[in-house]
Amino acid sequence: MQTIPFTSTLFCKLLPPCAFFALLLCSSPARAALGGDASSIGTGQTHLLATARIERAATHTMHELQAATGTKVREYADNDGKVFGVSWQGPFRPDLRQLLGAYYETYLNAAKTRVGRGPVNIQIPGLVIQMSGHQRAFYGRAYLVDRVPQGLSTDEIR
Amino acid sequence: MRAPRTRKAGAACTSAVLLGLGVACSGSSGLHHNTIALPADNVADVFVDYGLIGYANGLFTTVTVCVPGSTSDCQTIDHVLVDTGSSGLRLLGSVLTLSLPAFTNDSGVGLAECQQFISGSIWGPLRSADFKIANEQASNLTIQVIEESTYPMPSDCTGTDISSPELLGANGNLGLSSIAQDCGPPCAAALGPHSENPGLYYACASATADGCQAAAVPLAQQLTNPVLFFSQDNNGTIFELPAIPAEGAPSVAGSLVFGIGTRDNNGLEQASVIRLDDYGQFRTQYPTNSTPTLAFVDSGSNMMLFLDSTTTHIPTCYDALHPDISDFYCPTATLNLSAKIEDTFGGATLIVNFSVANAITLFSGDNIAFNNLAGPSVTPSGQSFMPTYFDWGLPFHFGRNVFTAIDGQETPAGQGPFVAF
Repeated sequence: MQTIPFTSTLFCKLLPPCAFFALLLCSSPARAALGGDASSIGTGQTHLLATARIERAATHTMHELQAATGTKVREYADNDGKVFGVSWQGPFRPDLRQLLGAYYETYLNAAKTRVGRGPVNIQIPGLVIQMSGHQRAFYGRAYLVDRVPQGLSTDEIR
Repeated sequence: MRAPRTRKAGAACTSAVLLGLGVACSGSSGLHHNTIALPADNVADVFVDYGLIGYANGLFTTVTVCVPGSTSDCQTIDHVLVDTGSSGLRLLGSVLTLSLPAFTNDSGVGLAECQQFISGSIWGPLRSADFKIANEQASNLTIQVIEESTYPMPSDCTGTDISSPELLGANGNLGLSSIAQDCGPPCAAALGPHSENPGLYYACASATADGCQAAAVPLAQQLTNPVLFFSQDNNGTIFELPAIPAEGAPSVAGSLVFGIGTRDNNGLEQASVIRLDDYGQFRTQYPTNSTPTLAFVDSGSNMMLFLDSTTTHIPTCYDALHPDISDFYCPTATLNLSAKIEDTFGGATLIVNFSVANAITLFSGDNIAFNNLAGPSVTPSGQSFMPTYFDWGLPFHFGRNVFTAIDGQETPAGQGPFVAF
C-alpha cells in the first residue's frame, strides 16, 4: 500500500473530521430548483411527495414538501416566484441535482476543494450551502445570497 | 504498513494474567472501566496512526476478505477505518486486487449502492466475500467496492464523490453501528408512488449510463454490520483504547473485542448501559443543567463534535491559510468540562468529564491521537438553522471500554441497541 509521509502541517490533520455517516439517497421527483421558477413547485410533486404546506409571508412564500421517505423539503420563493432558498431535513438526503438545479455543478466544484467529512459550510460569492447531521438524521440548506428578499433574515431559511 | 504493536499499558498486564483474569492492562483512569484485552479469537488489533494521509484520530484495523468458500483466494487489507457511525464493509477498488463475485438479486442482476455521507456520496457495486477479522468470520457477506468503475454513477446519485483514498483517508470502512443495516426497511419497500424507499440501492442490468435503476433490496441483502453474521460473539463490539496524555500521542494501539458477555474477556463489568433510540441516539446535557441535546457515540468521528460556538462560548480556530481549521474549537487554554449522558428510556444517567484543547496547539507537534480534539456540530452561520448535537467521537474512546450492542441482539444487559461505558 501507499504510504504518504506525514508532513506535520495543519492541512494534513484537518482531513476527515467526521464519521463515515450513512446517509441515503432520495430519488425525488422533478420539482422547482434553486434559482428556478416556483410555479412548478405544485405540479412537480410526483410520487414521493405526499403532502404540501404553503406559508405566505410579506417577503416570500414557503412551500413545504413531505416525501414518503420521511424527508421534508422546503423551498422559499420571492414575490416574483423565483426560488431563492431550499432546505431539507430527515433520514434521507434529497436529490441535490434536482434541488440545486443550475447551481448543482457550482456546488460540486466548490466541494472539490473542501477536505473533511464533518459539517459542510460552503460559502462562495452568491451562494451558501450548509449540511450537517449524522446517520439517519440529516440537515441542509442552500440559498442565493443576492436573491434573499430585503427584510428577510437568512435564519428563516430552515 | 502496520503501526507499532507496542501496547503502552503493557506493563500492567502481568499481574492480571497471573491472577487468571480474562482481561489485562488496567487503564490509567480509575473512574471508568478500561482494560485492553489480550490476544484471543475474538480480539482484533486496532490502532491510531498517521494512516494513509496523516489525519488526526483515525482508528484503523486490518481485515481479510476471501472469495466465498475459498481459504486461499484471500486478501488482507490494512488501514480500514473502524466506524460505529455506519454499517457494512466498504473497500476501495484500487486496493482490492482480489476478484470477488458480483452480488446479484434474485433475478441474477448485479446490485450497486449510492451511499451518502455528510459531505458527499460513494458509489459502487456490491460483491460477495468471506470476511475474516481476528478468528471471527462472516461467510458470504455483502460488501461494497467503491472507487470502482464497473457501472457509471447514476445521475440521481448526487453529492460530491468522496470515494478516493485521499478523501477517505483509509483503504476502506468497517461499519460497526448499533443499527444493523445501512438503510433498513425503507430500502426493502417496493418502489412506486408514495413509496418510502429512498432509492439507495440499484439493480444494474448493464454498464451503460442508465444501466442502473433504483431497486428494492431485502434486509438480508443490504450492507450490514458484519458482526451480526459471526457464528458467535455476534451481539456487539467493545472498543478498548488506552488513556493518552493531554498533549496527544504519535500512535495508539488497542483492541477491538467481538461479543458482549459471550466470553470471559468481554463482560460488561461495571459499565453503564445507555439505551438508544431508532436512530442510535441518546441524550446529553452540556452544561449538565441545560436542555438535553441529541447525542451519539461514533468511533469514525475524529473529534468530539458538540453544540456550537455560541452555546459553548468556545471560539473556533482561525487561520487564513487553512480556512477548514474553523471546524475545530480553539480555546485559549484547555477547558475541563462535564456533561451528563442520559439513557433514552429513563435509565442510567452519568456525568462524563472531558477536555477541549486548542486544536492549533495540538496540531503544532508530531502527535496524531488526541483525547481533547473538538469542534462545533454546526458551522457558525448555520447554528440558527440546524439542530446541534453531541457526537462523542474517537477522543471519548481513549481510556474507556466502549460497548456497542447491535439492534435486536441479546446481551446479559438486555437487548440492543445500546452503548455502554
